[in-house]
Amino acid sequence: MVRAGKEKEKESSVVKSEKLKMKKTKDLKPLETQLQDQDTPNISDSDSDSDSDSDYDVDFSEDDGSESEDYESLRDSETGRSDSSQDEGDVDTGDNDGLANDHSNEEQSESSDVHPGVEESDSSEDEVAPRNTIGDVPLEWYQDEKHIGYDITGKKIKKKEREDKLQSFLASADDSKNWRKINDEYNDEVVELRKEETKLIRRMLAGKAPHADFDPYAPYVDWFKWDDAKHPLSNAPEPKRRFIPSKWEHKKVVAYRRAIRKGLIKFDKPKEEPPVYLLWGDESNSTEKSGHLAYIPAPKPKLPGHEESYNPSSEYIPTQEEINSYQLMYEEDRPKFIPKSFTSMRNIPAYENAVKESFERCLDLYLCPRVRKKRINIDPESLKPKLPSRKDLRPYPTSCYLEYRGHTDAVLSVSVEPSGQWIASGSMDGTVRVWEVETGRCLRVWNVDEAVKCVAWNPVRELPILAAAVGPDVFILNTGLGNEEEQERIRELINVKTTTSPDDSDNTASIASWHQDDKHSGIRLRHFKSVSSVEWHRKGDYLSTVMPADILFKHHLAIVVHQISKKLTQRIPFKLHGLPVTSVFHPTRSIFFIATKKNVRVYELVKQKLIKKLETGLREVSSIAIHPAGDNVIVGSREGKLCWFDMDLSSQPYRTLKCHPKDITSVAFHRSYPLFASCSDDCTAYVFHGTVYSDLNQNPLIVPLEILRGHKSSNGRGVMDCKFHPRQPWLFTAGADSVIKLYCH
Amino acid sequence: MGKHYRPPGKKKEGNAARYITRSQAVKHLQVNLPLFRKLCILKGVFPREPKKKVKGNHHTYYHLKDIAFLQHEPLLETFRETRVYDKKIKKAKAKKNEERAKRLETQKPNYKLDRLIRERYPKFIDALRDLDDCLTMVHLFAALPALEREKVEVKRVHSCRRLSHEWQAYISCTHKLRKVFVSVKGIYYQAEVQGQKITWLTPHALQQVLTDDIDFNVMLTYLEFNETLLAFVSCHLYHSINVKYPPILDPRLEALAADLYALSRWFAASTRAPLVDPQASSLSGSEQGQGQNKETSLEESELRLAQLQQQLPSNEPGALMHLVEDVAGEDEEDEDTKECKKLFRNMKFFLSREVPRESLLFVIPAFGGMVSWEGDGAPYDENDDDITHQIVDRPSQTRKILSRDYVQPQWIYDCVNARIILPIEGYLVGRVPPPHLSPFVDNDAQGYVPDYAETIKRLQAAAKNQLLPLPGVGREDLEDPQSLLAEGVIDRAEANEAAERKRQMMTLRKQYEDEIKIELQGASAEDMEVGEESLPDLQQVAEDTTNMSKVMMPRKKRGLLEAIMKGKQRKQDHVNLLKERKKKIEERQNSKYT
Repeated sequence: MVRAGKEKEKESSVVKSEKLKMKKTKDLKPLETQLQDQDTPNISDSDSDSDSDSDYDVDFSEDDGSESEDYESLRDSETGRSDSSQDEGDVDTGDNDGLANDHSNEEQSESSDVHPGVEESDSSEDEVAPRNTIGDVPLEWYQDEKHIGYDITGKKIKKKEREDKLQSFLASADDSKNWRKINDEYNDEVVELRKEETKLIRRMLAGKAPHADFDPYAPYVDWFKWDDAKHPLSNAPEPKRRFIPSKWEHKKVVAYRRAIRKGLIKFDKPKEEPPVYLLWGDESNSTEKSGHLAYIPAPKPKLPGHEESYNPSSEYIPTQEEINSYQLMYEEDRPKFIPKSFTSMRNIPAYENAVKESFERCLDLYLCPRVRKKRINIDPESLKPKLPSRKDLRPYPTSCYLEYRGHTDAVLSVSVEPSGQWIASGSMDGTVRVWEVETGRCLRVWNVDEAVKCVAWNPVRELPILAAAVGPDVFILNTGLGNEEEQERIRELINVKTTTSPDDSDNTASIASWHQDDKHSGIRLRHFKSVSSVEWHRKGDYLSTVMPADILFKHHLAIVVHQISKKLTQRIPFKLHGLPVTSVFHPTRSIFFIATKKNVRVYELVKQKLIKKLETGLREVSSIAIHPAGDNVIVGSREGKLCWFDMDLSSQPYRTLKCHPKDITSVAFHRSYPLFASCSDDCTAYVFHGTVYSDLNQNPLIVPLEILRGHKSSNGRGVMDCKFHPRQPWLFTAGADSVIKLYCH
Repeated sequence: MGKHYRPPGKKKEGNAARYITRSQAVKHLQVNLPLFRKLCILKGVFPREPKKKVKGNHHTYYHLKDIAFLQHEPLLETFRETRVYDKKIKKAKAKKNEERAKRLETQKPNYKLDRLIRERYPKFIDALRDLDDCLTMVHLFAALPALEREKVEVKRVHSCRRLSHEWQAYISCTHKLRKVFVSVKGIYYQAEVQGQKITWLTPHALQQVLTDDIDFNVMLTYLEFNETLLAFVSCHLYHSINVKYPPILDPRLEALAADLYALSRWFAASTRAPLVDPQASSLSGSEQGQGQNKETSLEESELRLAQLQQQLPSNEPGALMHLVEDVAGEDEEDEDTKECKKLFRNMKFFLSREVPRESLLFVIPAFGGMVSWEGDGAPYDENDDDITHQIVDRPSQTRKILSRDYVQPQWIYDCVNARIILPIEGYLVGRVPPPHLSPFVDNDAQGYVPDYAETIKRLQAAAKNQLLPLPGVGREDLEDPQSLLAEGVIDRAEANEAAERKRQMMTLRKQYEDEIKIELQGASAEDMEVGEESLPDLQQVAEDTTNMSKVMMPRKKRGLLEAIMKGKQRKQDHVNLLKERKKKIEERQNSKYT
C-alpha cells in the first residue's frame, strides 16, 4: 500500500512536473485548452461555493465518457485556430513567467466576458486557478495545521479527513479505476485522470510528444519578413531614455524662453512697406559718375497720330475694299491698326490689345539689344558730291548736229580718220562706208556681203587705209584719199605678191592667210574664225585682231598680230587667261592691253612679260579705252558700269561709275580734250570730263557732263559705238537704228 | 583651323572678350533664366549690339561689364535666399504644415529697390525722362482686375491705383498737363514736368481683355520696379511743392472712388497750413509723426481727418478750388503753365453719370476749372446755379437748365489741345462731334492738314488777335474764311504747295519764252528740229541732272539717297491716299445733296 501510495505520489509528482512542462512547452496547449474548456462551466460554480469540491469531482467523472467525445470533435477545429493565435502570443511574451502569463490571460478572459459570444478565449493556459493560495511553499509547513492553506477570499481550507490506509486500500481494491486517481496534496483533493490524460502521460513517458496530433517536424513558417535585412528586428525592450524628457532640449527651451523674455526673438512682426523718402534729396551730390557703361535709354513709343483717334476725320478711315485688300498683303506689310470711328465717347469699347501691347513693350525693353544710332536727318541734296559747274568744263558735245544716213541696218562700228575729215563706218548690211564729216556726204561704199563688225582707220595720216573685220576676214582697204605720192605708197604696200601664207612656221600658217583682193582693191586676211575687233598700232604697221574663240579650240591663237609691210602674221607671245574680249595698243609705249571678261592684262611687248593685271570686279568687260597719256584706262562692262583705272595708283578701279542701266557697248577717250564717253544699249551716250593731273598726288577729276540721247532702239540694241573727233570736241555715235550721229558743242 | 582661331595661351580680344551671349551670362552668374531676367529688369541691364557678333547672328549679347555689374549685386544673394525659403514653404505646404509655411513666409528675406533706383537714375531728371513706360504700366494695372491665377494681388492693384491718383493729383494741381488725346487704345496724356515731356496712356475704364500669351511674371517684375520708382518720384515732387508725401486721404471719399478729389483736398489742406502758420504745421507734423508710431493707423487717420475738417471750409468747394489754384505758387511758373491755368477759369462743370469721370476730374482742374459729379461726396450738386457747363454723353437731354451748356466730353479735350475755348455748337448733346485730332502730330511736317485742324488754327489766330475770346466771334470767323486769309493765316503746307505751283508755272513760262525766242531768231531747219526735240524734254533734263549727280556718288551714299527717296515717296503716297479718300467722300456728299 505504502508502495502504491508512494507510486501514486510519484505519479502525481510526475504529473506535476508534466504540468509544469506543459506550461512551458507550447506543444501541450491543445490539451490544456481542452481541459479548461470542459471545465469552464464548473468553475463559475465552484467559485461561488468553495466547499463543493466533491461535486466537482463527481461532475468531472460523469462528464468523462459521454460528452467528451462530441466536445472533442467540436473543439479540435477551434483549438487548431486558437492554437496558431496562441503561438504568436507566446512568442511575443517569450520568457515571461507563468504568472505574468496567467495574469494577462485573466485580463483577456475578462475582456472576453464583455463579448460573450467569443468562448474559446485565450485563457487556455491555466485550467482552474489553484484553490489554494499559499503559493509554492513546502507543504510540510502545514503538516501540523488543520488547514492546508487559504482560498482566494482568505478563508482557511480545511484538510479533509484522512482515510486510514485500510479503508483506502479497500477502496482501491474495489474501485477498478483507482489507479487513475491521484492525490493532489497541494489542494488536498483526489484527481482522477481520464483516459486521454493517461494516454498523454504514456506518450510522454515514451518520450514522444504528448499530443498525438502534434507533428514535431512540421515545416517551419518564418514569422519575419526578411526584406534584405540581415537580422530580424531587435526584440530588445525600449530603453529608458525614451521615456524621459531630454535634458538638452530642456536647456534649449530655457534659452529660447529667456531670449523671448528679453525681447531678442519677436513673433509675428508685421511686414512693413519700405518707406518712401526723398531719394534725390541732395541734387548737388549726384554729379559723380557711375563709372559704368553708358546707359542707352530705350526709345519712346511712337506717339499716336490722327488715325488712332476714337473719332478721326473721315478720310483716315479706310474703305471696306481697302480693308479687304489688306488680307492679300503679306503679314508684315499689313497695317497693324485699322482706324475706326465711334460717334461718341460712351461707345468706345475696351481695347483688346491693351495688356498685350504693354507686355510687348516690356519684352522690347529687356530683350531688344540697344544701340545708339545717329538719326540721319540729312538733306538728300547734301549727299550729292560737289562737282565743278558744267559751264566751266566746256566745250563738250551737247546736242546732235548732223546725222549720217545711208546704212540700211544697224551700224556696228565707226572710225574717224586721223585728220578728222572723214569717218568710216561698218554696218550689219554688209557695207563699209566713208563719209565726209562736215557735210554728211557718203564718199565711198564697199559692199562686202557680210556684217562688218569693226572698222579702223590707220592712225598714220599719210596712210589713209582702212581695216574692216568682216566675218573671218579682215580687209585692208585703200580709201583712195590723199595725194598721188601717198597713193603710190599705199598701192605698193597693199600689194600681196604671193597669196600663199609665209612659210616661217607651222603655227602662223594656220592662223591667217594673206590674199590680194581685187574686187575691193586691198588685202584680204583670212582667219580661221570670225574676227570681232581690229586695232591698229600707233605706227600704222601692225594690226591686232581678236577672235573670241572658245577656250578649247586654238585658244592660244585668239589674238594675233599682223604686220602689213612684211605681210606677216604672228601670235602674241603670252599665255592667254580667260576669253579675250578686246585688245588695245598703248598710245605711246610698246605696251599691249588684253581685256578678258574679268580682268585686263597689261603686257610689255619688248620684254615680253606681264606688267600689270587690272582687276575690274565687273561681271563682263565689253570695251576698253586708254587715256592718251597712257596711265589711265577706262573699262566698260555689260552690267552698265564704267571703271576708271589709274594704273599708277593701283590695280583696283579708282572709281566705278554706274551710269547705264544696260550694257555698255563702247567707251572712248578724246585725244586732246579731257573728255571721255560711254555708249550703251539704252540708247544713250554719257559724256564725262576726265582731267588727269601731272601731279601724282592729285586724283583724276571725273565729272559727268551730258547725257546724249537721240538714237532709237531696234532689236533691243541702242548705240553700238562711239568715237571722238580727233581735234574737235565732237562725238560720233553709231546707232542700231542705222544712223550715225555727230554731237557737237 | 577655324576662322577665329586663337592660339592657346593668348587672351581673347575685341568683341569676343567684351561680349558674351545670354546663355553664357546665365551660366556665369549661376542663376536660372527667370531670375536672370528679373535681375536684368530690376537693374536695367539690356543686351547690346556688338559690332561683330562672334558667336553668331542668332544670339543676344550682353556686355561683360554689365554681367559683372549684375554679379556684384547684393540682390542676387537675396534672391538666392528667397529661393531657399520658397522651397521650404513649398515643402511645408506639401506636408500640410500651414503654420510653418506661414511663419516661413513672414521670415522670408525682404529687399528694397530704392538703392537700385538711385543707381539707375543718379539725378531726378533722369528718372523723369524714363517715366513714360512706368506711368503707362501703373495706370494699366490700376485698371486691371486682381488675378489670383496670375499672382496679381488686390494689394498691387490698389497700390497702383493710389500711385496713379497721386501722380494725377500732382499734375492736376500744378497745372502741368499739356495735351490729352482720346484714342481707341485709351487716353493719352502729356505733361511737362521740369522741362521733360512725359506721355502716358491710361486704358479706358472697362474690363480689360486678357490673353493667354502674356507672361505676367515679366510684367509684375516691371511693375514692382515701376511702382517703387513712381512712389519715389511722387515723393520728390510732393516735397517740391511742400506737401507731405504719403497723403492721408478721407476714407469716405476714398470709398466712393473719388480719390482724386480727396487728393486735391489734401493738397489744399497741406498747403494752406503753411500759409497760415508754417511753424504750427511743422509742429503738428512732427507730433503726428510721433503719434504715428504709437497709435494705430485707424486712429491716426481719424485724427488727421479731424484736422482736415477743421482746416477746411468744407461747404465751400469754390473757395477750395481757389485755394488749390493758389497752391502752385506764382513765382516760378512758365508761360505755358499760366496759359493752362487760365483756360477754364471762372467755369464750373458738372459731370453726368455716363462720362469718364476719372479722366475729366483730372483734366478740368488741371486747366483751372471747377468740377463736380453726380454722387456722394461731390463738392456741389447738379442744381447749383453757377454751373456753366454740364458734360453729358447721351443721345438726348430731357431736362435742361437754360443757364448752362450741355456739351459732350470731347469738347473738353479739344479745348485743352487747342488751348482756347472752342465754340460749343458742334459738341452739343445728340450731335456727332467734329473729328478728334491728335495733338501729337505736326500736320505741316506730315504734309496733310485735316479740315478741322485748319479751323482750329483759325480760331486760335482769332483768339490771339482779340484778347477776349468770345465764342460768338469764333463762329463768325469760321463762316468767313476770307477775312482770315486777309489776316494772313496761311500754314506751312499750304505755302509749300503754293510755292510748288509757282515753280511749275515758272518752268512753263520759261519754256514758252524759249520757244518764242527760237521762232523770232528764225534759226536753221536743223536747229529748229533739234530745238523742237529738246524743248519738251525739260523734265528729261531735270532727270538727267539728278541721274548724273547720282552717277558720281559712292555706292553707300547712293543707297542712302535711294532709301531717303523711298521714305519720302511712301509719305507722299500716304498723303495722296488721304486726299483721294477725302475727294471721294466729298463727291459722295455733294451727289447726295444734289
